[in-house]
Amino acid sequence: MALRDWDLWGPFFFIVFLGLTLSWSASVKKSEVFAVAFALLAAGAVILTLNVLLLGGHIVFFQSLSLLGYCLFPLDVGALICMMENNVILKMIVVCVTLAWSSWAAYPFMSSAVNLSRKALALYPVFLMYVSVGFLTIAID
Amino acid sequence: MDFSQVIENYANPKTCFFHVLFKAAALAFYILSALFFNSFVIIFVVTVLLSALDFWVVKNVSGRILVGLRWWNEINDLGESVWRFECLDQESLARMNKKDSWLFWWTLYLSAVAWIVLGIFSLIRFQADYLLVIGVCLTLNIANIVGFTKCRKDAKKQIQQFATQTIASRFSSTLQSAFSVV
Repeated sequence: MALRDWDLWGPFFFIVFLGLTLSWSASVKKSEVFAVAFALLAAGAVILTLNVLLLGGHIVFFQSLSLLGYCLFPLDVGALICMMENNVILKMIVVCVTLAWSSWAAYPFMSSAVNLSRKALALYPVFLMYVSVGFLTIAID
Repeated sequence: MDFSQVIENYANPKTCFFHVLFKAAALAFYILSALFFNSFVIIFVVTVLLSALDFWVVKNVSGRILVGLRWWNEINDLGESVWRFECLDQESLARMNKKDSWLFWWTLYLSAVAWIVLGIFSLIRFQADYLLVIGVCLTLNIANIVGFTKCRKDAKKQIQQFATQTIASRFSSTLQSAFSVV
């Protein structure tokens, strides 16, 4: 499987790109936005992986980091589109679509790692993280 | 001292140069950028990018060429992650240039120390965002240090095995010559 060969260059690029896009969209406090976005995504990926490990799941730490980073791609596209748009309704639609796409991409890997009774516990924080990024994207003007 | 004389002492001057280049560039950019750029974002992105490039160069190029060590991670067929730390065989290790390996290890340790010192400065000034930059760069540096130190331990084990083998073979050969005389 392609998942076997993990690398962190992709996630690094996607996280930095998302931070840059959000920072460019912001009219004030650009540095804070970038720092918060980067720290949130990086720490979030680590904590989500630890969450699955603590739930007794079977994943490899770096593989999971790599996957969660690569799954940010739809949100990157969404943030790029939102940067160029000003209409709030359009932004909400774009964010919802990209959010669904990201979660749908991360779902198989995360759910297969834990046993059935704990699936929701593993998946909910992932969804929460992507939702918070979505909120950041909509709220920034 | 003539520049070419300095270069002669190193077996791989180009590799040494690149080994030091990105480390020094990341540190220099971080320290000097405050004078030129107002934007934290640019400082962050460029410093972390240079640090990541340095990590890649040290891990994949200068580690193998200057000190003959390599380390990486594989996922085996069972889906488990395996870390591999390897070194060259004894003869090739002995042939490594001493100056090359001195430069390799010293710059590795010195840059980690430099980042720690810069980290203490931003801690004192309560600059959380700069601490983030330093945290990332420090993590990359320490990852390389830990990886290559583990390779060195593998190398030391090899030296011990080699030594016991040579001692054992010499011992048996002296025994044999003693018995053949008798």
